[in-house]
Amino acid sequence: MPASAVSDPIEVSDIDLVKRSQAGDTRAFDILVTRYRGRIYAMTYHLIQNETEAWDLAQEAFIKAWRALPNFKLDAGFYTWLYRIAHNVSYDWLRKKKIQGDGEFDDEHTSHRAAAGAETAPKGDPAPDMAMRNAEVGQRIQAAIAKLSPEHRQVIVLREVEGLAYEEIAEIIPCSLGTIMSRLFYARKKLQEQLKDVYETTL
Amino acid sequence: MKPPSENHDLIRWLDGEMNDNERASFDEQLKNNPLLAKEAEELRALSATIRLHMPAEMKMPHSDFFNSQIQVRISQMEADDARSNVAAAPIWFAVFRWRRQPWLVAAGAAALAVLSFVLLRPAQDAPSQSTILSSYTPNTHVRAHTFHDEEADATVLMLDGLDEVPAEKKISGITVQRSEMEPEFASTTLFDAAGERLLMISRDSTGSPLIWTKTPRG
Repeated sequence: MPASAVSDPIEVSDIDLVKRSQAGDTRAFDILVTRYRGRIYAMTYHLIQNETEAWDLAQEAFIKAWRALPNFKLDAGFYTWLYRIAHNVSYDWLRKKKIQGDGEFDDEHTSHRAAAGAETAPKGDPAPDMAMRNAEVGQRIQAAIAKLSPEHRQVIVLREVEGLAYEEIAEIIPCSLGTIMSRLFYARKKLQEQLKDVYETTL
Repeated sequence: MKPPSENHDLIRWLDGEMNDNERASFDEQLKNNPLLAKEAEELRALSATIRLHMPAEMKMPHSDFFNSQIQVRISQMEADDARSNVAAAPIWFAVFRWRRQPWLVAAGAAALAVLSFVLLRPAQDAPSQSTILSSYTPNTHVRAHTFHDEEADATVLMLDGLDEVPAEKKISGITVQRSEMEPEFASTTLFDAAGERLLMISRDSTGSPLIWTKTPRG
């Protein structure tokens, strides 16, 4: 397979790398993987809440992206396109795991194991007691999100973590704006009930 | 419990999805409605807390391995595609090619080689070393050897000559608790911990192995 020499990866645009990848240059694709693996992994992790599965699904997303690259239109943003693939891969996984019944996820069915080398808290160098508090809050939030249905979890991640606008969310899911607002409303209500003591300290 | 009434204006205000006029109007509502204002403030605090603790980018564990695995899988896919293209050739060519290839893919060969082992495990209270009586690998290019690892207290099966197992294949195994031999039928049956039959191995009149396996559950 062709593998051209790629100059300083930071300077190379997504479009250049995508063009080279479409021509079969796996080194160019490797740079795209390195560039976006942290964001794709964060998304799969937040949705799946399991280190190992999130790692596998992120990999699956990149493999699917490689397969689909010949169909990728260069006028679209590569990350947005890749993000959509990763989202669909994760959401399909979530739906398969969905518990029949009340539609709610049970915390016992998702694990929050942290793999060696994993970083699940924001970067920084807070004092040890603050770091512990951050870790606790982080775990509480993860646990609360794990209890949401896949549909509710999905809108929370897309809105709160990715900061996407309603129209962008509606395009990814896809569904109507009214459905997005409705899901966001109920998802937040559920999180509000579970995390009241957590966020109250910030009021 | 009755679900709370949906308030899309509150959600849109919170997410910055209102235009200037809508926002001004909603801000006025907040001033005149302390309950709504409290709710809005709580939801805003909740969003800020979630954003603070759910980073949009995370360090990928074993990132080098992550990249290398993707490269391996891409190579394998391309090799598979190349094989598929050859497979699309005329039938006589496919048959000729089939005769030159191992008749099982690597993973399948590995599985059958393992399952075809005739092993005899002593009683439960005895040491766990298995006695390998004979072995059979359907792929004649594969050679099987075994040894007992004292430290792991396990019988290790070595298979030489297998093709590389594709990265997306997950290798799994079964735990054999005990085995029973029936000299009359020259058969060996393997049982799991629950006492259920996993596998029965025998030979036909020509000496070729006959294997009966239980369909794996779910």
